[in-house]
Order: sequence, then structure tokens, then C-alpha cells
Amino acid sequence: MTAADPALPFTHWPRAVLGPVAALVLWEVAGRVLTDAFVLAPPSAIIGYLVGNVGLIARALGVTLANAAAGFVIGNAAAVLLATLASVWPRSDAMIRGLALVVFCLPLVATGPILRVIFGPGDWPQIVLAALAVYYTTLIPLLVGLRALPSGWLDLVRSYGRGRMAALVHVRAMAALPYLVAGLQIAAPAALLGAMVGEFTGAERGMGVLTVRALRAMDVEMTWALASVATAVAVVGYLAIGWLAQRYLQDDPPIILAAPPLASRAANRFAGLATLVCVTIGALLLWWGLLELLDLSPFFAKRPLDVLDSLVLAPDAADTRATLTTALGDTAVFLLPGYLAGLAMGAGLAILIVLVPRAAGTAMPLAIALRSVPIIITAPLVVLTLGRGAVGTVVLVAIMVFFPTFVACMHGLRQAPGQVIDVFNSYAANRGQQLLRVRIPAMLPAFFAAARINVPASILAVTVVEWLATGNGIGSVMALSASLSDYDMLWSAVFVVTALSALGYAGVGAVEKRVLAAFAPEQLL
Amino acid sequence: MSISVVCTGLSKTFDAHVEAVQPLDLSFIAGQTTALVGPSGCGKSTLLRMIAGLEEPSGGTVSIGGLPPSETLRKANLSVAFQDPSLLPWRSVRRNIELALTLARRPIVARDVDQLIRLVGLDGFGDTRPAELSGGMRQRAAIARALSTRPDLLLLDEPFGAVDELTRQQLANDLPAIWEARGTTTILVTHSVSEAVMLSDRVVVLSARPAEVVADISVDLPRPRRAELTRSQDFTEIVDAVFAALAEGMAEPQPKAAQ
Repeated sequence: MTAADPALPFTHWPRAVLGPVAALVLWEVAGRVLTDAFVLAPPSAIIGYLVGNVGLIARALGVTLANAAAGFVIGNAAAVLLATLASVWPRSDAMIRGLALVVFCLPLVATGPILRVIFGPGDWPQIVLAALAVYYTTLIPLLVGLRALPSGWLDLVRSYGRGRMAALVHVRAMAALPYLVAGLQIAAPAALLGAMVGEFTGAERGMGVLTVRALRAMDVEMTWALASVATAVAVVGYLAIGWLAQRYLQDDPPIILAAPPLASRAANRFAGLATLVCVTIGALLLWWGLLELLDLSPFFAKRPLDVLDSLVLAPDAADTRATLTTALGDTAVFLLPGYLAGLAMGAGLAILIVLVPRAAGTAMPLAIALRSVPIIITAPLVVLTLGRGAVGTVVLVAIMVFFPTFVACMHGLRQAPGQVIDVFNSYAANRGQQLLRVRIPAMLPAFFAAARINVPASILAVTVVEWLATGNGIGSVMALSASLSDYDMLWSAVFVVTALSALGYAGVGAVEKRVLAAFAPEQLL
Repeated sequence: MSISVVCTGLSKTFDAHVEAVQPLDLSFIAGQTTALVGPSGCGKSTLLRMIAGLEEPSGGTVSIGGLPPSETLRKANLSVAFQDPSLLPWRSVRRNIELALTLARRPIVARDVDQLIRLVGLDGFGDTRPAELSGGMRQRAAIARALSTRPDLLLLDEPFGAVDELTRQQLANDLPAIWEARGTTTILVTHSVSEAVMLSDRVVVLSARPAEVVADISVDLPRPRRAELTRSQDFTEIVDAVFAALAEGMAEPQPKAAQ
């Protein structure tokens, strides 16, 4: 991570004023030293740029914020509605989760252009992307929250002869409130991210549009100023919701790292398979039904059968497949090292810090706040700093994966029950043994939760960079086919990436089961 | 209104292996207080939960006040005080009691709620949240909540577990007066033999798992019962009889599921 992480000044400053101040000074010095390298703008230059272009930035920010806010409301409303449905009608739960995951795995960069041909020019594509970016982060904690309550509370409702609706209204809704807040908190920066990804991929106005312009013009100060403002706004949104929650809720919002594995609730392998088949069919039906319902022209709105045609049946299907395979191969070269490095760094640093308890106390709130920084927004900075080559892409993916993994692992490591640690202490076991036998097993589920959720997240990161800068891989294929109106290729790419992303998610789940069975069987559900 | 409870061939098997309650015929007489005692894990709570309609029986039926079993949960006017007080943490004591009234679709009468709060010795804690109460106070709040709907059938699952000894005696003095005055049929699950004898008209002793009735002992002691009663000859005799039955229930060879 560069010393110039613009998020630092906004995190828990009363406790750690020194760190951010030092970072700012370092950033300033580095910026001045590197003036001629066209990579880094010092804070003073950023402020200078902002003062000089207040009107421009304010207008762009206004547009982006309005879109993000609209998407925030729509996406969260959808999440609340779906979670409520799953709670009142438990049979729909697996389907809702499965479809939600599929939609979450959609590559947002390619969804942008598709939405643009559906909605036409204007703000709706950005709003829908913002909604798509937030609904999953709210849905999952809410699903957990609506369930995570003592059975006695539900018995109470049932003992008076009342049903699920009464349980929802009188018990579950309030019990889930802290979880909803936790979701909304993460959703605030995510909405901004969704709106900006929409703007990256071809809107008319907004922060993302200015960013693309700045990047093309190699305007270092403008790029840094835009990224700083976007990051600051995202962090402020995150902190504001946290502050509201602290004021009006009794309990702190819980830290929800990711969805529990889909199959964990299924009684057996067969039920898991049945869910998979149902969800796949449901997703295809939803895709087809939505396009039919909106009566969209098959020229740009490709149905499942069109994609099947272009991938398998058409005369040029082999070419399409070859293009996609090559592009995916190129992407994998960046994606996999970044993903693995991010996971290793996140887990490794968390373990190191836990060995020094005092550091852990300070690092945790900082790390949680840093998680709120929508890393994608800083993608242009990484491109500027590390160039358009492989290093920049790998680093960005690694950073994207690092933060959630680090937070999850820190949280997991601290989950180790105090009494068990006491037992170890009573035998004078050293920290290493404690770590190996208690803390790391306690950490594993959190680590895998992060690893799962990071599959779609890292794909988003890599495709954004490829789209914006490198001209490589699947992101670039999407960008090219969008600009050439090659909708067969675009939809095929979206389909393949979504499927691979969902498969990757499931694959990590399978690895998790194996590893937990071997090293921490008590953590298996 | 006094209602009776009739269990016919009632049984519960968990996961097709663990037999918690074997087919059991047991009637609870209208207006009486019956205590269920037995070794821990014998299935007392499961039995109570089946009567409350919270647990589906594996076999047999429960009929409350002559209602067909399918309608009991919806129509029977019953209340349960659980082992775990299960108070909603975001509601004050008063609002927790009011929730029961709302769930039972009864009007909320502030005076009645106040009176209940006083009765269980929580005067001045009506607006306190559960987190600020001791375990015993929470259980008393749960008892007040259970009484608030004026149930015809009151099911108490070790409701005094965390209550301190003095308060326990106080409650043992006051509570039976309420449910007797209303003719409430009460079923009390407890570990404490003296509490069972003190509070009930009849003690049903259950064997170790799977539960079956070992003894059905009636408690013919005058009411109201005061703490002094525990030192009387009659009281000790009944307590001894219950202990003897308990010991017998423990010693009994476990009947096999195949039987």
C-alpha cells in the first residue's frame, strides 16, 4: 500500500491523530519530490486544484451523489423486501440467496453498457448499477439478522397462537435492525462505487466521467483530486451511518463478513444440488422474463438462447469461444496472483498484529474504517502510480482483496473464546501454541467468508482496470464489444464471467469445507 | 374459566433415535396445579412444549379444554413462562408485558400491568430494560408477562430457577393465590421437590428418559401455604414420597425403543 492512502485522515482521528498527520506529511513530501514523474499529486496541489475548480467538482459530485443516493434507496428497499419475503416464507430463502448471488456476480462494468442501451442515455444506468452494488451487502446481513435470535422469542409469539407475520413485526424486525444498519453502512460507499462504475463506462456527467477525462489527459492533480473527494465522501457516508446507529441503537452493529455458505442449511448433498439446479433455472427464467417484460429488442437485449447460440451453435461460435478463452486467460494471469496475494497479506498481517495485542486494539477500528474505502474508486490512482502494465492490475486486485480479508481475519482471530485462552494460559502455553491451536482455527471461517465474497469483488476490480487502462483481458473485450455494439460478444462475456464468478464462489466454499473438516471440524455447521 | 388438559398416547422421538417421551396418557384436572418432577433431561420440558403446541408430538394428541388438537394453539388461552425468560432486550419490563397482551390480542390496561409488576416484586423497575435486571428479576418479569393475559392454562418451565431463595418463598406465597382465584389450570416443571409440593395439588414424578409416569402423588395440604408448612409432618411425608418415587424412576432399567 502506498503511504499516500487518502483514507487515513478520516479514520478515528482522536485516537490516532499522529499517524494520519505523518501520512499527510509523507504524501506531501513524496508528491513534491515526484512532481516530474506524473504519478502523485501532493495534498497541497489537490487542495489547490479543488479550490480552483470548485464549481466543476461540485456539479459532478452532485450528479454522482444523487445517482448513488437513488441507487442506495432502491437497492436497499429491494434487499429489505427480499429478506422479509425469505423470513415470512422460508421456502423461498435458498432461491432468494442463490439469485442474489448470481446477480451479485454480474460484472458491473459490462452491465453498465447493457443498461445504457436498455435505458438510453441519462442517469438510470448509474442508478441501477448503484442499486446492484448495494443490495447484496444489505440482503446478507439482514437475512442473518432476521434469523439470529433466541428461539425463546419465537416460542413466545407462537405460544399465543400467532404466526410468522406477528413474529416478523414484533420480534424479528427489531432484532434485525443492527444487522440492517451494518449492511447499510457498507452499502453507503458501495452505492458510490456503483454509480462511479456506471460513469466510468459511459455516462454523460458525474465524477466518474471527469475521472476518465482526467486519466486520458494524464492530468495528475485532477485525477488525485477526484479520487480524494470520492473517497472522502464514501468514508463520510460510512461514518455517518455508523454515527446514527450509535446514537439511536442500543447495540453496536454486528460485523457481518459475508454470507454463510449457501449449502450449509441444506440437509444433504442432494438438496444442495437441487438448490443449484433451481437457482440456475430461476436465473435463466428471470433473465428471459425481464427482457420479454420490458419488450426489449433482441438486437441488443440478448436472451439466454441467443447466448447459447453465439457460444455454441452459431457458425462463428468457435471464434467467440476462442476470443473469450484467450481474454479470460489473460485476465486470470492478473487476477489469480492478486487474489491470492491479497488473501495471504490480509491473513498474514492479521496474525502478526494479533501476536501484539496492543497493536490489535488500535488496528481493528482502523481496518474496519478502511474497509469502507471503495478501492475501485482509487483504481485510476493505481493506474497512474504503477502504470498500465501487469503490476498495477495485480496490486489493485490485491488491495481490493486485502482489506476485507484483513478485517475478517482480525475479527475471527479475536473470536477465540476467552476461557479457552485462559485454559491455555493456565498451562503456560506460549503465544505460538495459542495461535496455532485456538486462534487460527477460530479464524478460518471468517477467512473463508472473505475469500468467497472476494471472488466477485476481485473480478470487479480486474475488469474495471482492464476497461479503464490496460486494454487487456476480459474487461477489455467487454469494453471493445460495447463500443462496437457487438452485443452477442458482450452478453456472452457477461454470461461467462457471471458463471465463472459464481463457480469460483462455490469453489471456495468447497475448499472451505475440506479445510475446516481437516483443521477445525468444530467450526463446521 | 377452568379447563382440563388431556394427553393421549403422547410421545416424542428426536432424530428417529432419541426417545424423549414414550407414549404417555396424562390428564391435568381443570383448576388444579400439577407439578412435573423428574431427573434432568428426562423430557419434562419436551412434554410441556408439546402441551403448549411448540413441539410437534411424534405420536398421540393433546387436547386442551376439549378443543381438537389442531385448534389448540390458535384458540387455547394459554401462557408459557420459559426457563429462559426470553424478554425482548429493546423493550422495558412494562413493554414486554404489554407485548404478550398485544400478541394475545387483549386490550392493554395500564393499571393491571402495574399491579402485576408490583406483584412479582418489580415495583419501580417497570421502565427498566432487561439488561439492567438480575437473572431472578428477569424471570419474575417473565412470570408477570405470562400472567398478564389471564390464561386458562399456565405452563411454567422452571420459572424460579434464577430467583433467590427469599423471593422464591414470597412468590410461592403470592402466585398460587392468583391462579387459584382465577381457576387457572397450572402445570409446573421443576427440579425442586419442595417447591413442587409447596405449590401444587398433585405431583407427577417422571422417570429418566424416555419419560414415563413413575408416581402420581396428590398433595392434600391446606392453602394458603406458608413457609412454616415446610416443617410440618404432612409436608415432609409427601416430600419423602416424591423422593422415593424419583429414586425408583432413576433405578428403573431403560425400556428399549423396540419394546
